[in-house]
Amino acid sequence: MIRIEQLAKSFVSPRRSAWRRQAAQRVHAVRDVSFEAADGCITGLLGPNGAGKTTTLRVLAALIEPDAGRVLVDELDVHTQPRAALARMGVLSDARGLYPRLTARENIVYYGALQGMNREAAQARAEALARMFDMTSLLDRRTEGFSQGERMKTALARALVHDPKHVVLDEPTNGLDVLATRALRDSLRWLRTPEGGAKCIVFSTHIMQEVERLCDRVVVVAHGRSVAQGTVAELLARTGERDFEEAFVKLAFRDDVAEPAI
Amino acid sequence: MSGRAWGRGVWIVFAKEIVDALRDRRTLLVVLLSSVLMGPLVLIALSGLVASFEERAEQRELYLVGLERAPTLVNFLQRQTFVVRAAPADYEQRLRVSTFAEPVLVVPEGFEADLARGQVPVLEIVSDSANRRSEAGASRLQRLLQAFGRERAALTLAWRGVSGELLEPVQVEERDLASTATRGAQFTAMLPFFVLMAVLYGALNAALDSTAGERERGSLEPLLMNPVDRIGLVLGKWGAVACVGMLIAVLSCFSFIPAQWLLRSDTLAALFQYGMHEALLFLLVLLPFAAAISAVLMAVAIRCRTYKEAQANATIVVLAVSLLPLFSVFNLGGEARWHAWVPGLGQNLLMSRVLKGEAFGAEQVLGPLVVCAVMTMLGVGFVARRLGTAAVR
Repeated sequence: MIRIEQLAKSFVSPRRSAWRRQAAQRVHAVRDVSFEAADGCITGLLGPNGAGKTTTLRVLAALIEPDAGRVLVDELDVHTQPRAALARMGVLSDARGLYPRLTARENIVYYGALQGMNREAAQARAEALARMFDMTSLLDRRTEGFSQGERMKTALARALVHDPKHVVLDEPTNGLDVLATRALRDSLRWLRTPEGGAKCIVFSTHIMQEVERLCDRVVVVAHGRSVAQGTVAELLARTGERDFEEAFVKLAFRDDVAEPAI
Repeated sequence: MSGRAWGRGVWIVFAKEIVDALRDRRTLLVVLLSSVLMGPLVLIALSGLVASFEERAEQRELYLVGLERAPTLVNFLQRQTFVVRAAPADYEQRLRVSTFAEPVLVVPEGFEADLARGQVPVLEIVSDSANRRSEAGASRLQRLLQAFGRERAALTLAWRGVSGELLEPVQVEERDLASTATRGAQFTAMLPFFVLMAVLYGALNAALDSTAGERERGSLEPLLMNPVDRIGLVLGKWGAVACVGMLIAVLSCFSFIPAQWLLRSDTLAALFQYGMHEALLFLLVLLPFAAAISAVLMAVAIRCRTYKEAQANATIVVLAVSLLPLFSVFNLGGEARWHAWVPGLGQNLLMSRVLKGEAFGAEQVLGPLVVCAVMTMLGVGFVARRLGTAAVR
């Protein structure tokens, strides 16, 4: 289970000119995000561009420290016990670069080893994941020259190599074609089932259909705040809309959550 | 995290980085060709040059215009065991285009008669100062003619019953203090420079690729989402970079040993004493340097978003390492104590000492060693501290 409580994070934007002194600008990426993602459940983080989804997931992955709030993974505080928390998570981040001179298999096994797996286990797991994502023929090719979709599959397999209880994906369908997107959805649905390990899956997206088709719960994020959460049906009922896109626009761009004009 | 698990993490990162660096065959090949082979090749070319000087010194040939007009002079030159030949007709042209490498002595009309009457005839030495090899011969010719003049003068004085020593109230003798090895060091002074550069270029690519390259590819952020601590991660990376640098150091140090067999000049071969012992001393100096320069290059590169930006920034390090040894070239005040504490310069001085065959003790090695250790720690620490921010932005 992943629990995020009243998360806030702001950045100081770098000064543009080295000569003129400018007041450093503070950018509030995340103001107040709270949600809970249960095991055996797919939770979608839905929000427009710049809503703070990626920053939230980066804090979740212990990459940056929050200014306020807590992030708990199975009751482990990510900030105080980052390594223990990371061992329970598989994160596909916004940046998903591979090592071009290593084969797909080596890329995956490297992360397995870093997660503390032994070589044989990591190899076996790489092959199982390759079957799952239909990329067995790619395994022993160097990732140099991989297509966008092939890269994505490799990065996903790399994130899941240690069979983590929690799966965190930042816009995972970016750059995937229809078939690959469908295959990914099927894999995620399977991971949610008890046979698949009843994983706790959190993924961010700005694509409505994805959320409608896949998510058990939706957290709508806008202007750095979590403005609404619930199942798709609940959100539709709350806004009195029949179309989810209309419902989302109503929730995300409400006047009272918008940033105060300066 | 237990110590063993920590060590395992460092090892995993190290092994991956080594594989990654060694797979970059093209870059490695360029480094090997340009850095490792450069020193020996220059040495061999140098030996060719010295050998050609020696050959000419052995030939002892002189070229004259108007050979028949100066029997006395020719007689003198032959007594000095020189072979005197007539110069080719187009010698001026050939000297200019450097196809003729000897200076030419022009004897004027009536030389013999003027000489006998004591009417100071003018001898002309023709050489081309743009033609290096003819220049070298010209000074030898000049010395010969002075000796001829002195002999003539001494004979004339003796004829009149005056001692020849009157002309030379002072006798000059030269005593060269340089040992064989120090004399050889003149020729081999740039070898330490080549070796330092080889190590630097060896480490450069791996250092940039594992920091700025990783940022540019977007693989640093996912890497940090593994449960490995940052110092461990950086140590693994640094270890791999330093190993590549050290590999190049070993290759370039030992490449001079086979290069010696190809030396064409016997003199240079005798002067250049470089064997197993010297190679090992070189390594003693270079291995800590490889470790330190790897950490410094990584620290410079982690601040850069792209590989290209990192290359531009690393130029400063390359420039510093190549310029600092110049202190010892322009050393007006001689070797100062602080020289040993300047990275690059200290190593250069120690290696020159090895080549000169001078002994050095622990205290001379200690300075550079301490500097290298401090640089390594600062570099690794800095990279570890910047890693998090570097991954996100």
